[in-house]
Amino acid sequence: MSDPAESFLARHQFLIYRLFSLSGLVPVGAFLVVHLLTNASILAGPGTFQSRVDLIHSIGERVLPIVEWAFIFLPMLFHATVGFVIIANGLPNVGSYPYVGNVRYTLQRATGMIAFVFIIGHVIHLHWMGKPLGGGQFDPHAASSSAAVAIQPALASALYAIGVLCAVFHFANGLWTLGITWGLWTSPAAMRRANAVSIVVGVALAAAGLGSLAGLQGLRGQKLDDARAIEANMHEDREARERLLHGGDRATSAVRPAVGAPVADSRGG
Amino acid sequence: MIKAVETNGHASNAEHDGGHVARRVRVRILRQDVAGGESYWERFEVPHEPNMNVISVLQKVAAQAKSQDGRAVAPVAWDCSCLEEVCGSCTMLINGRTRMACSALVDKLLDESEEIELRPMSKFPVVRDLVVDRRRLFRSLERVQAWVPVDDSYDHGPGPRISPREQEDAYPLSTCISCGCCLEACPQFTKIEVVRRDGESEADFVKRRKAAFDAGFVGAHAISQSMLFNAHPTGGMIAGERLETLTGQGGIQVCGNAQNCVAVCPKSIPLTRSIARAGRAATVWAIKKLFDR
Amino acid sequence: MAQPRVLVVGGGLAGLAATMRLAELGVGVDLVSLVPVKRSHSVCAQGGINSVNALTRQQGDNEWKHFDDTVYGGDFLQHQPPVKEMADWGPRIVDLMDRLGVPFNRTPEGFRDQRRFGGTLYKRTAFAGATTGQQLLYALDEQVRRREVEGKVKKWEFWDFLAPVLDDAGRCRGAICQDLVTMEFRAFPADAVVLATGGNGLIYGRSTMSMVCTGSAVSRAYRAGAAYGNGEFIQVHPTAIPGADKLRLMSESARGEGGRVWVPRKPQDPRDPRDIPEADRCYFLEERYPKYGNLVPRDIATREIFDICTTDGLSVEKDRLCVYLDVTHIPRETLDRKLGGILEIYEKFQGVDPRSVPMKIFPAVHYSMGGLWVDYERSSSGGMVEGAIRNQQTSIPGLYAIGECDYQYHGANRLGANSLLSCIFSGLFVAPTLAAAAGATAPVDRRLFEATERREEERHRALLGRTAGDENPYDLHQQLGGLMTRVATVVRRNDQLEAAYGEVCAMEERWKRCAVSDTGNWTNQNVVFTKALGDMFPVAKLILKGALLRDECRGAHFKPAFAMPGISATDPAGQRREAEEWCDRFEANTRKWLKSTIATCDSAGNPEISYQDVDTSLIPPRPRLYGLVGADVIEEVWKERHATADAGGTAAEPRLAAAAT
Repeated sequence: MSDPAESFLARHQFLIYRLFSLSGLVPVGAFLVVHLLTNASILAGPGTFQSRVDLIHSIGERVLPIVEWAFIFLPMLFHATVGFVIIANGLPNVGSYPYVGNVRYTLQRATGMIAFVFIIGHVIHLHWMGKPLGGGQFDPHAASSSAAVAIQPALASALYAIGVLCAVFHFANGLWTLGITWGLWTSPAAMRRANAVSIVVGVALAAAGLGSLAGLQGLRGQKLDDARAIEANMHEDREARERLLHGGDRATSAVRPAVGAPVADSRGG
Repeated sequence: MIKAVETNGHASNAEHDGGHVARRVRVRILRQDVAGGESYWERFEVPHEPNMNVISVLQKVAAQAKSQDGRAVAPVAWDCSCLEEVCGSCTMLINGRTRMACSALVDKLLDESEEIELRPMSKFPVVRDLVVDRRRLFRSLERVQAWVPVDDSYDHGPGPRISPREQEDAYPLSTCISCGCCLEACPQFTKIEVVRRDGESEADFVKRRKAAFDAGFVGAHAISQSMLFNAHPTGGMIAGERLETLTGQGGIQVCGNAQNCVAVCPKSIPLTRSIARAGRAATVWAIKKLFDR
Repeated sequence: MAQPRVLVVGGGLAGLAATMRLAELGVGVDLVSLVPVKRSHSVCAQGGINSVNALTRQQGDNEWKHFDDTVYGGDFLQHQPPVKEMADWGPRIVDLMDRLGVPFNRTPEGFRDQRRFGGTLYKRTAFAGATTGQQLLYALDEQVRRREVEGKVKKWEFWDFLAPVLDDAGRCRGAICQDLVTMEFRAFPADAVVLATGGNGLIYGRSTMSMVCTGSAVSRAYRAGAAYGNGEFIQVHPTAIPGADKLRLMSESARGEGGRVWVPRKPQDPRDPRDIPEADRCYFLEERYPKYGNLVPRDIATREIFDICTTDGLSVEKDRLCVYLDVTHIPRETLDRKLGGILEIYEKFQGVDPRSVPMKIFPAVHYSMGGLWVDYERSSSGGMVEGAIRNQQTSIPGLYAIGECDYQYHGANRLGANSLLSCIFSGLFVAPTLAAAAGATAPVDRRLFEATERREEERHRALLGRTAGDENPYDLHQQLGGLMTRVATVVRRNDQLEAAYGEVCAMEERWKRCAVSDTGNWTNQNVVFTKALGDMFPVAKLILKGALLRDECRGAHFKPAFAMPGISATDPAGQRREAEEWCDRFEANTRKWLKSTIATCDSAGNPEISYQDVDTSLIPPRPRLYGLVGADVIEEVWKERHATADAGGTAAEPRLAAAAT
């Protein structure tokens, strides 16, 4: 009667929806938290931010894409795909029933879609994969300065603010509904308490996200030059340490204590 | 016929001798003559009475069988029975919101808007005018086996001992009147209308309709009923079967946590608590099932 | 032979109990109902269900006392064996409902909690919040749903019972019903048909009953030859909230907690009730019954409220009779704590806060003790023989009646919390009878159904064709209801009853000119209502005629002209003499009127009334003296007179009670 793909989805609807729910928390949500907190370190200065970026890149430029795909992009695509199926099967009615829960239900879907579009744009814009499309503007060796230059245009910063806020709302609200879905909080009182926690998490993440955008905005003129100088120094230090440890054998760059290594094509822009 | 209507008009004027102006209640009703037919608006006007509810407006509309512009029209069809919000019959969309017509007081509605708007529920197939076919709602109760599986109705002594706390927990869930408000307001519960095909036998049609219902969301009411029966000592003996349904297609996972169900429930049943409990039970059950294989 | 099949009409407590038990007995059931069975009128019952229980038993209670309270409360008008059987089954029935998952209120230790209801000294009433009827109905609905999934039951919801089908020998072989959506007709051949269609409150226009309680199914059986018993006994509840659409019950507890009943001394005083000073208020219950005040017995409260509005013309409103029930003098916290639930009902439906504005209430038709006459087979122990083919059978063989639509259990007046018991009991008890009947019938010719089906189709078509009449069925219904409420409820006078009978006959003629404004053949509620209205007249007439002919006061039937006043003498000798006279008169009245009223329908639709002796072999009738002046003296005389008889009675009691356990 129905096609096999449909019946597979139908048979495993519960599992798929639960994995969808889980993926929103781990790894996608967890990544969002790490990402926003890392970015917020810009407020402590370009050096701090650079060292955080270096730390991430220290796992190795060949391992990193695998980690990114396995723990970020694929889960995100899964979450987004199922999310769009769920959105397509729902019938928002906030006009007739303007209750808080229903407004949140509608916003969850709206912010999810906006965040998804934003993330695609964001990846193209800054991630090296976006280079063929004229993006990929982030330089991991010049973290603050390259990000600042990329984000400072008014349109870009406005879109980033919207994107970040949507992602944060989607995550914080999703945290609350996840607890209901999995049965962590069941009574109305427990839901209220969990809601308060979600709000705190959401506000904190929004502050971190907007804070890092503000931090990048501040990197202009002399400050930008200073940042570049710091980044160049740190880069030279890293190169020097690398040579010292491995005698120039770059093939073993992933060996600890890893300090990351420049990849030839990542220095563009 | 016309004479009777005039008599009505007279009565209404005579009623308001206490210095009141004879008020009229205007109502706009979305009508549909047959299942699957076109819908259309029709306006009516009836004399106002103190403490009037939507049912008495509809009773007057039926009695006068005349639209606002004076045309003779067929009386509006609607469902009702107890008129005290306990039978669950008279659910409809009143001023855009799902509620029971018997407890919807006209004076309060007129505070919302000058004209009262009545529409049939949108998540169930319209039979005629404000009458909808809610058999899917009852099918959901079958899906979750919403009953206590007793051996028989012969004398086996009293039921299990139950603490007052358990009773206080169960009682509100047991007051569900199957009105369907929670389903109507749920953004995740969407209409399933199965139309009989030409040449299809009654049995085939019923089977196809059942399959369609069973693929759809069970709904808040059925989730809550499964929690009611799972919590009962005897009812819980088939808790696994209920959780099997709740983790099957159209089960608990479809809930989108909009929580409209609990907001519109005329009996204030803690539906979201039931849903969260069902979520927890489903989590535990699914994990157990995974490792017990 | 094909699998036995029974048609159950009506899916309230009685119909569902019968269906559940029949399915267990392996009998196929077609269950026809006007509404989804879960929406039946049984949901409206609030109070509870009576039965002897472990606790009351240790306080001296037993089934015999429950039986005695029921027949005493019913003024001895019921045949006693069925009532005895019902009381004996009480504990088993409540246990069963408990097992089915009814959330009865609990004691701290986890046992069923019980409360005391009117007409008894024991806490016999099990209850589930304030919605016991709803909870009991749901439990049975769930069991029937389960059997339906198993394929043992087929529900036909939104179907109307039109007529029983009788064979040449006068035996019921099935029925013709109509789909209320598609308007199609269908024959339901059955080995037995059981009506469980409830009360007929709609004959009174507005009552506490649901909109489906038209009594049309019973009327159709009556027209087809089934006898009707005790039609004139209609219970009126003293306090209901008058609404434009229906009358909703207001619990007696409002008066129990100190609520005061009053009317303005000036008829229809236009002032806000809060602005009417004490001097201008008439607390008529307190004035007339200083001893009992607002807590006079239910029937007296009903009569007084009715009387002050009709006879004295002191109704608060002109068009809608009502009096004030005032709790505004009670502190808010007290009200919320003790009466929260019931005051919320008032607020919800009246949109007025009864904590600050006096409520408007009026008595309302609540229950029909009368109904289809049914038979029973007496057992040697004084109860009923289970499975006997006569049990619950109407005067038409093969046609049975259970629940509120039979006349069997409540006599002249029903005790609170006994109706739920009688419904479930008669439903369970009739099942083995129906199973036995189902095995005993020969196959039937389908042509038998065609004739009745054609007649019903013809009647339907004729109604649809009546578009040119000058009568509006809804207006006519209001007039019928108004008339019946005026003359055949609380206070009955022969001149009024006689006149009303003529008026109802005239209305029935006018009904024939009723125009149908919807001539379509799809979910035509207009024609269904018009048909049901037409079926109200025969029953209205038998109620009126039964009331007219019964020249006495018994239970809910009160005729002031035949009331037996208490003692007026003040000296002991005079009191003694009056008491003797009172007892003589009581005995004479018992001989003359302790009889079931049996109405049969003649070919013109008019009732023919006859009387049947009541089986009072288990408990001899005795006077109900509650609230009567000089009751103590009369009781003394009565006891002296019946000393010997009583000795026999008490000797019989333990023997019969022992047989039951």
